[in-house]
Parts: sequence; structure tokens; C-alpha cells
Amino acid sequence: MYKNYLKIAWRNLKKQPFFTFLNVFGLAIGMTGAILISLFVHDELSFDKMFADSDRIYRIDTDIKFGGAEMESAQAAAPMANALQNDFAQVKNTVRFRTKGSMLLRKSETNDNSKELQTTFVDSTFFDMFGIQLLSGDRKTALTQPNTLVLTKTAAEKHFGIKNAIGQNLLLNNTDTYTITGVIDDLPTNSFLKDYSVFMAMAGHVASRENNWGGNNFYTFIKLIPSANADDIKIPLASMLEKYMLPWAQKYFPGMTGESFAAAGNSIRYHTMPLTDIHLYSARESEMSSNSSMQNVYILSFIGLFLIILACVNFMNLSTAHSLKRAKEVGVRKTLGSNKTELIQQFLIESGLIALISLLLAVALSITVLPLFNELSGRAISLPFTNPIFWLILFVATIILGLFSGSYPAFFMSRLMPVKTLKGGSHTSVGGGNIRNALVVFQFAISVFLIVSTLVVFQQLKFIQSKDLGFTKDQVLLINDTYAAGKQVKAFKEEVGRLGQVQSSTFSSFLPVPSSRSSSSFFEEGAIEQDKAIQMGTWYVDEDYIPTLSMKLIAGRNFDKQHLTDSTAVIINESTLKRLGVNPEAALGMRISEEIEIEKSKFFTVIGVVKNFHFESLRENINALGLFLDKSTGTLAIKLKAGDFKQTISSIESIWTKLAPGQPFSYRFMDDAFNTSYDAEQRLGRIFMVFTILSIFIACLGLFGLAAFNAQKRTKEIGIRKVLGASISQITYRLTTDFLKMVGLGILISLPLGWYTMNKWLEDFSYRIEISWWILALAAFLAIAVAILTVSYQSIKAAITNPVKSLKTE
Amino acid sequence: MIKIQNLKKSFRTEEVETLALNDVNLNVASGEFVAIMGPSGCGKSTLLNIIGMLDNPTEGSYKFSDHEVGGLKERQRTELRKGNLGFVFQSFNLIDELTVYENVELPLIYLKMNKSERKQKVMAVLERMKIAHREKHFPQQLSGGQQQRVAISRAVVTNPKLILADEPTGNLDSKNGIEVMNLLTELNQEGTTIVMVTHSDRDSHYAHRIVNLFDGQIVTESQNRAMEARV
Repeated sequence: MYKNYLKIAWRNLKKQPFFTFLNVFGLAIGMTGAILISLFVHDELSFDKMFADSDRIYRIDTDIKFGGAEMESAQAAAPMANALQNDFAQVKNTVRFRTKGSMLLRKSETNDNSKELQTTFVDSTFFDMFGIQLLSGDRKTALTQPNTLVLTKTAAEKHFGIKNAIGQNLLLNNTDTYTITGVIDDLPTNSFLKDYSVFMAMAGHVASRENNWGGNNFYTFIKLIPSANADDIKIPLASMLEKYMLPWAQKYFPGMTGESFAAAGNSIRYHTMPLTDIHLYSARESEMSSNSSMQNVYILSFIGLFLIILACVNFMNLSTAHSLKRAKEVGVRKTLGSNKTELIQQFLIESGLIALISLLLAVALSITVLPLFNELSGRAISLPFTNPIFWLILFVATIILGLFSGSYPAFFMSRLMPVKTLKGGSHTSVGGGNIRNALVVFQFAISVFLIVSTLVVFQQLKFIQSKDLGFTKDQVLLINDTYAAGKQVKAFKEEVGRLGQVQSSTFSSFLPVPSSRSSSSFFEEGAIEQDKAIQMGTWYVDEDYIPTLSMKLIAGRNFDKQHLTDSTAVIINESTLKRLGVNPEAALGMRISEEIEIEKSKFFTVIGVVKNFHFESLRENINALGLFLDKSTGTLAIKLKAGDFKQTISSIESIWTKLAPGQPFSYRFMDDAFNTSYDAEQRLGRIFMVFTILSIFIACLGLFGLAAFNAQKRTKEIGIRKVLGASISQITYRLTTDFLKMVGLGILISLPLGWYTMNKWLEDFSYRIEISWWILALAAFLAIAVAILTVSYQSIKAAITNPVKSLKTE
Repeated sequence: MIKIQNLKKSFRTEEVETLALNDVNLNVASGEFVAIMGPSGCGKSTLLNIIGMLDNPTEGSYKFSDHEVGGLKERQRTELRKGNLGFVFQSFNLIDELTVYENVELPLIYLKMNKSERKQKVMAVLERMKIAHREKHFPQQLSGGQQQRVAISRAVVTNPKLILADEPTGNLDSKNGIEVMNLLTELNQEGTTIVMVTHSDRDSHYAHRIVNLFDGQIVTESQNRAMEARV
């Protein structure tokens, strides 16, 4: 009996290639989307779980409210790790990271540097903490001595083999010599250490041994004993403030108590963040690697679910519509003694078969588009072909999908009465029209919702890109790691400045795009009290900085080579001005100091006030900032005149190779660098766009099939209308408007929903657009236009048919 | 075999109730060949559908081999129908996606007969209907007469007690029509009861008895003189 079912199913599929194609293709596209999204979500959820005892490892985070600035830091003070381990039995192990960003590495005897993007100092407990094995070297002694380091396999292979790397020397940033004491495997791409390749012994980091509770610069991880959990460490963590932080601070602010500290609106709170939650739940300042968010995981999961539901809806719609053709078969089978259950079985087997064929196509499609998807999502996901569980899940999900989407058509068709279906042949009316219409409404509601979301995301991105940022990011070329030129940096800037295409250039590691950051507490002269502190960013720039980036001074002047005293001058931004509580002119000449110990005080005189510029992402407000004149040669920012950039870049490169032989030359444009701050949004926008297109495509496949069915069903009606004198346009209009009503209803449902949801999303931005009516109108228009295009083909085709032909089919 | 008493069937639309069968009484004995005649819309097909257990009467009693059919659930009707009844339609109603062999095999599959037994029965009936050489063809590849022979093969393959034929020659030319009628007669002579709805005077003459239906009521019943003469 099952053989018979399969046989007739197969023949039916072959006989109706058009419907089969619509069905299989629609399902396959939905499945492909779902497969890719599932892999992505699985990858997101798997972060950092590969580390030994990952469920017992926590990071210590610090929330600081001080000097008018609030900071949620992913770091803790240097002595925190030791204090926790010494004082509390629940803490089994600790490790600290002090990241150093990118570094240049070369063998001592050569000149050729290679760049490692993420490097860090780390305690020697690193291996035990995360269960990391060494490919070579001794885990007991590696990283115990100053000036030793451990490399990942890939980094090691750039200079030596894995085996003979041990004991070799490397020069870091052309200055410090380090000995390689170990090589580890590359770190998993789904871990917080994924970008790190160089681990230097913390023993060589002076600040790591200082009893400084004021600076929070160390990523501190603790591992609890098996019997303890995060709650057990809450009270110990809270006690650190009274026990260590306040006594330390009282050295500088005699008489300060916990009460007066709090009364001034200040606070410091320590938290634990589970290691395995960092990737999805932590969004603190200066995370060790770029994190994702659970929100995105939810959004994507929903989109994946939408796609699958859309595809199922298509399937149900097409199958029931198509059942007209199968009605006779159902009737015959019933008269021959088939009961309902057997018919239901038969149709379910058929939909199962279609689902399986779609699965094959979906797997093929997934393999094809995976590279594109990886580019889109910024991951390195692969299909786990060798994992039987993957196939099992896929297979079971497909069967469930087949049964689910086949259930409605199966029950619907098995109810057809033979008395009705056998007599008339093809002009039996098929019910279920209301449900089919509801399904179309649902599909378009989802599609329009996704269109609205996509438009809003892109509008917000456009707004960000075109917003007056307080500086000009266009036509600014950034030459990276210019410090590698050593003594030649000055010559490099001078020679570049002589190029015809170069308007001006400036050296600084601090730029209003992702780059170096530092900050400190400052005090107005004569007001060194803890409640008067100003937490201010400290940027080191040269005198060309403000003109090169076209920033505006609203009072005072820029740094000047002629003024020798400018080494103790500061240019503040408007946010600092607000903290000082004076008007721009009054601020000029004020003196501020960073040192808390009065005898050591070094004062900086305010010589100018720069208009606020956005130096962090637009999600955040502009904080207090001070520009200081100092040598900071990390990046050369070059303002170019309009023209042939390629030519200019190659001229700059040849100057670089001449002055800094063997040092890597790398550059980026400032507007591109700026855009990387919005990677998450751009990615979200692109992902939205792709899946929106997919969902509209699936909805259209369904609509197309339904329109074909409708035209076919009404062949006779159309013929009669034409005989009675209806014009082609009248008939086309008649056939099309039926569908447009459903699309319209879908739009009405989805617009308020889209508006509400996207307003929630926009709340994350300090600077955001308002959703204007035209975005909603455009989304509605797009949906209607696509629907008209889809339906009108079938409608016009039906309308122009000669009525003699259509009436003959009676 | 068939005992119908005071049978009524009405169809209800939103506003109108149509009485398709009004107080029909009919008995068909085992081995009989009965033709039901009457103008379009008189209720012939409705009566045949009820006899064929494809439809339920609104009122009255219908006993098939002493089983009361009226009021049975669909599942129960299906069970009773299986193997007992064979259908022949005007428009053949073969399944286009199945071959001749597979079409005829279908009722046996629903009887859960095993494969070798099925094969033997199907081939035997196809041989008998002189259509065995076409067993691998699809219905669309056959002439109307051949299609109806396949349909009859399918109706009789289970050895049913009763064959219901709804205008079996309606879509055939006279030569094929006569051939089909001869086949039905042959089956009847072997003991199968046949109830046939027809418009055709020629066909009705093959029956033992003609029942004339008009506006849902049996108006006349007549023994077929030609048959009497033959018997």
C-alpha cells in the first residue's frame, strides 16, 4: 500500500512540474534560511563553552560612577585577583589579561615585521584556568618569567616551525626582546580569545604588581571551586570596596569615608559575569573581543521561524488549491474502499516526500550560499557533515515539517465527498478558500513587517553616516602603525606633506574612530576633592590635529609650535566645559591637574574649547575630553585633496618603504573605519535585507501559484464574461483586486507592529531618526507593487484567452 | 439483497430545501439486473449513490443484505462497501496517474490482499475483459471503450455481490456501448446483482426490471418483456 502511495505521489509530482517546482523551491528556500540561521545561532550559543570548567569561570566587572562619568567596565583593578584568591576559599584560581592591541613582531636578526592584531599580557595560570594544552613548551614554566611569551600555532609559523620556536627570540614593536617559551593551538573561533595570538608573561608588566585600586585595566577571571556558585561570591565581592578600595583612596583623600564617597554621587560596584554569557550578554566598554547580543539571536531565530512558516503556508496553500485536480482521485479511492485514515496517510506521505526532496535541494543551496552567509554574518561556519546528530535533526525536522504542512491539505482533501467529486469532473468547487486567504494575509503581514524593519535599519545607518559629527571623516587616509618607522616618523610626515595631493596630516593614536583610548580623573586647580573630580578622556595629538580633521574651535586657539608652553596646555571639548560649569571664554586660562597628590601636581592650562565631536558610536553620548600636545605616533591621518587616491597611496607607500624598510604598510580610510563602529547594525541591516527578500520571494511564489489556480478555476467565468462583452482590462482588474484585498489586510496588520518594534530598536541610540510616515508608505507600496506584478501575469494570461477555448474546457 | 423503505433524501441550501427522493420503496433481489430510468434531475443518481453507500438517506430505511445502512458513520459505510460493491461510472473515473494494472489492483490493496494473490486476480480479470495486453498503459492512452472495460475490471475484481453502474455507456459509441452491456449481462448471468442508471432505452432492455423515477418518486415498475422472452 505504501509503495502505491509513493508511486502515485512521485507520478503526481512529475506530472505537475510547475506546482512541484513552486512547492519544492519555496520549501527549499525556507529550509535553507532556517538551516543557515540555526547554524549561526548554534555558533552564537556555543561561545566559550569549550574551555575546561567553563561553567565555573567568571569575569569580574566593575561599574564606576566617578567624577560625573559613568563607566561599565569589563575590567578590574590589578590587585583584585590576588585579593580574591587569598581571602576567599571559594575562589580556586584566577587569571588576568592586560591587552596591548596590535603589535609588530620580528626575529631579532631580520628587518621584516609581521603584525599580530591582538596581543595581551597574561598570568601564568592561563593554561590551568582554561585547560589550554601546549603544542610545545612546558606548561609549568611557560609565562612565569618576564619577557617570555607564548604564540598560537599560526603566529609561530610565520617565523618558525612549531617545534623549533621554543627558545627563539622575537622583537616586539622593534624595541622589546621576548623569548618564546610555548606554542598553543589557534584559539577557537567561537571563544572570547579568538583574535588573540600573542600571550606575554604578566611577570614583566610592572603595573600588574602595583597595589593600585584606582585604575581598572585588568581583565580578571576567577574560577570557583565546584561546590560554589556565583551567589557565594556576591558578598565577598561587595566587601572589597571597604576592605581595599577605600583604604587605598584615603591615602589621597584623607578623611574620605564610604558615606562621603556615596554622598558625592560616586559609587563602585563589582559584579561577576559568567564566562559563557560574555558573548551574548556583555556589552561593556572595551570588551576583549567584539561581542554579539542575545537580542540579535532572538531576532534571527524569529526570522528563521518566519521563513519556515512562510514556506509551510505556501505549501498548504498550493496543495489545497491544487486539490481540485486531485478531487477525482480522492472520490475514486473512496468508492473503492479507501477510508479517511488511509487517504490522510497517503497525502502525508506525499508531503513528506516533497519535504525530503526540498531538504536535498536546501542542503545543496546551503552549501552554495554558506560562503556568502559567512561574509554577511562575519563568521566561519561550516555544515557539520560528519556529525550524525546534525543529519538526524535535519531529517526529523524535515519529516515534522512535511507532516505539519501536509496535515491541513490531507485533512482537507480526505473530507471531499465522492458523490460531489466524481460526477462533475473538473468544475467542482473546492472549499478552504477562507483559510487560504487568511494564509496569504499572514504571509504578507510578515513580509511587510520585514520590509519596514529593513528600511528603518538602513535609514538609521544613513542618518549616522550623514550626521554632522563635529569632524570631517571624508577623504582622510589613515596610515596604521606608523610608530614602526621609529626615528623616521617625523621625516615620514614631512615627506608625505610635500605630496601635491596631501592637504595636511596629523600624528595621533587617538582618533574619533575605533583606536586608542585613555582617560583619567582631573581636578580644577584648588578643588582636589573627590566630589569635584572630572573623569575626562585624555588624547595626545599634534598641532595639525584640529585643522586636519576640520574640527571647530568655539573659543581660544589651537596648539602652536611657537608657544613652548603648549606642552602644558589642554584643549577641552564642550562636555568638559559643562562639567567645569563656566562659559567658553571663562574657561580659557583655567588650570586643571590629574595628580591627586598636591605636591606632584602638574597643571594644564585650558587654551581652547573645541566643539563637541562624536568620538564614540552614536549609541553613546559625548563624554568629557581633553586634547593634549604630545608625541603619539600610532597613526598618521592624512587629509587628501580630491583626485586619484590610488596614485597618492602608492606615493605614500614608496616613502614608507624608503624610510621604514621591512615594516608593514597598511592603511584605511577614515569613513570606512568609522563605519566599522556600526558593524553590528550594518550586519543586522544586511541580514534583514537578505531574509526580507527571501520571505517576499516565498510569499510571491505562493501568490503566483494561487493566482494560477484561481485563473484556472475561473476559466469558465472569464469566458462567459468575455462573451458578454467584458474587456481584458476589466477582467484583469477583477482577478487582481481579489488578491490585493488580502495583501492590503496584511499591510494593515503589519504596519503598526513594525512601527512599534522598530521604535523599540531605535531606543538603543542616543542619536536616532524618527520613523516617518513615508517609510511605512514605501513598505506598503513595495508589497502592493510586488503583489500586482506577481498576480497580473496570471490574470492577464487568463483574460486574453479566447473565450471559445475556455468555454470548451467545460 | 436491497430493501428500501420510505426513503427520503433532501438537500438544503441556505433558503431552499429540495426533495431529491420522496418516499421511495424498492427491493432488489439477489441476482437481479435492475435499470433505473427517468429524466434529468429526477433523482436517479441520488438513489444510486445511496444504494452505493456514498451518501446517507435523510429519512427511511435502507437494508443491504439485512444490514441497516441508514445512519451508519462514514467509516462503517466504507467497511461495508469494501469488496461487496463495485462501481462503474459514465466518465470511467480511472486514476490518470496509475496504469491499467494499478487501477484494477487498487480495491484489492484496500482489502489488504497480498501481492501474489492480487496479481493473479488482476491478470485474470484483465484477460477476461480482453484488456490484458494494455496492462502497462495509462488511461489517457486508451480509447473510451477500453477505459470502460478497465473500469468494469476494477469494479468486478473483488467479486462484489452488487455492481452499480451510472450511465455506463453514456460516453461511448454504440459499438463499444453494446460491448459493455454484454459484459454486464454476462456478469449478471454469473450471479452478480446489477443496478444501473441509464437514459438509454437500448441499455434498459438488458435489465430484468425497469424502475421509472420522476421527481423523486417511483412512478412505474415494469418487468422487461424482452428479458422475459429471453428467459
